[in-house]
Formats: sequence, C-alpha cells, structure tokens
Amino acid sequence: MILELLAAGLIVSAVLAVHLDEAVYSIVSLTCTFILMAILYSLSDANFAAVFQLAISAGTLAVLFLSGEMLSEKPSGKKSLRNLFLAIAGALLLSIPSILLSAKAIQTNVTSGVSFPEALWNLRAIDVVLQGMVIMTVALGIAIVLYEKRGGKN
Amino acid sequence: MNYVILSVTLLAIGIYGLLTKRHLLKVLVSIELIATAASMNFVLLASSLNKALGEAFLILAFSTDTCVTAIILALLVIFSRKYGTRDIRKLARLERNKENGSEIGEGDA
Repeated sequence: MILELLAAGLIVSAVLAVHLDEAVYSIVSLTCTFILMAILYSLSDANFAAVFQLAISAGTLAVLFLSGEMLSEKPSGKKSLRNLFLAIAGALLLSIPSILLSAKAIQTNVTSGVSFPEALWNLRAIDVVLQGMVIMTVALGIAIVLYEKRGGKN
Repeated sequence: MNYVILSVTLLAIGIYGLLTKRHLLKVLVSIELIATAASMNFVLLASSLNKALGEAFLILAFSTDTCVTAIILALLVIFSRKYGTRDIRKLARLERNKENGSEIGEGDA
C-alpha cells in the first residue's frame, strides 16, 4: 500500500513540476519528487542510493531555487484552479498502470549478490572518466566566467 | 507494482515538458525528470536482482547529471542577462534574426 501511494505521489509531483507556471512552485514539486524517490529507494533496500539521492538533490535544488528566484517573472494573470485539478487528476490516471500492472518475476541465475564496494570497484574505469568530465565542467565554468569579465571590460 | 512502467511514465512526463514548455528553467526541470526516471530504472531493477551495481551506477550517473545541470544553469543565466528573456522560442527567433542581419550586412559590403 505504501509503495502504491508513493508511486501515485511521485507521478503527481512530477506532473505538477512540469505543469505549474511559477518556477519556484515547480521546484518545490520537483523537491517532493526527489524526496519520494529517495523513500522508494529506501523501501527497496537501496539505502546508499536513497542517501545519495537526498544529498545530491539537496544541492541541485538549492541552486535551482536560487536561480528560480533570480530568473522567475511575476505571473501575469490568475490561473484557474480547474487546470490544476485537471493536472492532478490526469497524473492520478497516469499512475494507475504502474500500480495495477504487476511485474513478472525476473528469472535469474544469480545466487549471490554483488556488494556495494565490489560494484564500485568494478566500475572504477567509468568513475575515472566521469571525474575527468566533472573537472572539464569546472574548467568550462571558469572559462565562461572569465569570458564574461573580459566582455564586460570591452 | 511495476517499476518499469513507473519509470516510463516519469520519462514520458519529462519528454512532454521538454517538448511543450518554453521557459528555460522548465526545460531544465524536464531534463532532471528524464535523468531521474532513467536512474530509477537502473536502481530498482538491480535492487530486485539483489545486486548493488545499480546503486554504484546511480552514484556515477549523478556526476554527469550534476554537470549537465551546471552547464544548463550557466547558459540560462548568461542568456537571460544578455537577451533579457527566458523563452527558448524568443531566443531562437533572436538568433535567427541576428544571422539574417549579418548575412544582409555581408551582402551589402
């Protein structure tokens, strides 16, 4: 029952994150999506994933909040509540298939699971590449800031 | 409960937002939803197989996701400062007008 409620809440908050006009409300809905997803991970025995989901999304959402506050425009007119309720009803309808359709049991020959440190060690090559990508992003960010400053002086 | 259908639904919501919304921040939110749906599929399927590989993959996927978010946010701030709009269609129109203007200028010269 809890999982079904979580699935419905996840889809409703995702729909609201896309549907709501004001950026700040949209980001609040996205926050709900991430929190519900972390709870779903935790209930599925993926505790590390839940902790990382909460930690990373907290950072991402803090930045999104700041930029949303900085860049959002005041809403031009009053939006009707009817559209909001329609969106929520549509989201609840969308969540029905995932709740009612049950997955077939996955047949597997796996006898013992791979532990988390072992899995991280197996993926170390990808980890190195991704760390390089993060460093490249930082370099790109610094280049953009320097370009902006140079443009300002000219 | 079927996790695959749940993640496909989230993916569809993200794609819908990506195709229909014009505000740059909304586009970013849609991309976040798509990335979250994809990583959810990995984690929950691996978890049902009693493997931690999905969790390890999620941690690695977060780094790319954060890079993408950082770059899009930087572009968003730069564009909104430079052109004073957050509407992607207006931005595309401005860019097209600029290109046409430069072509006309070159032709005149």
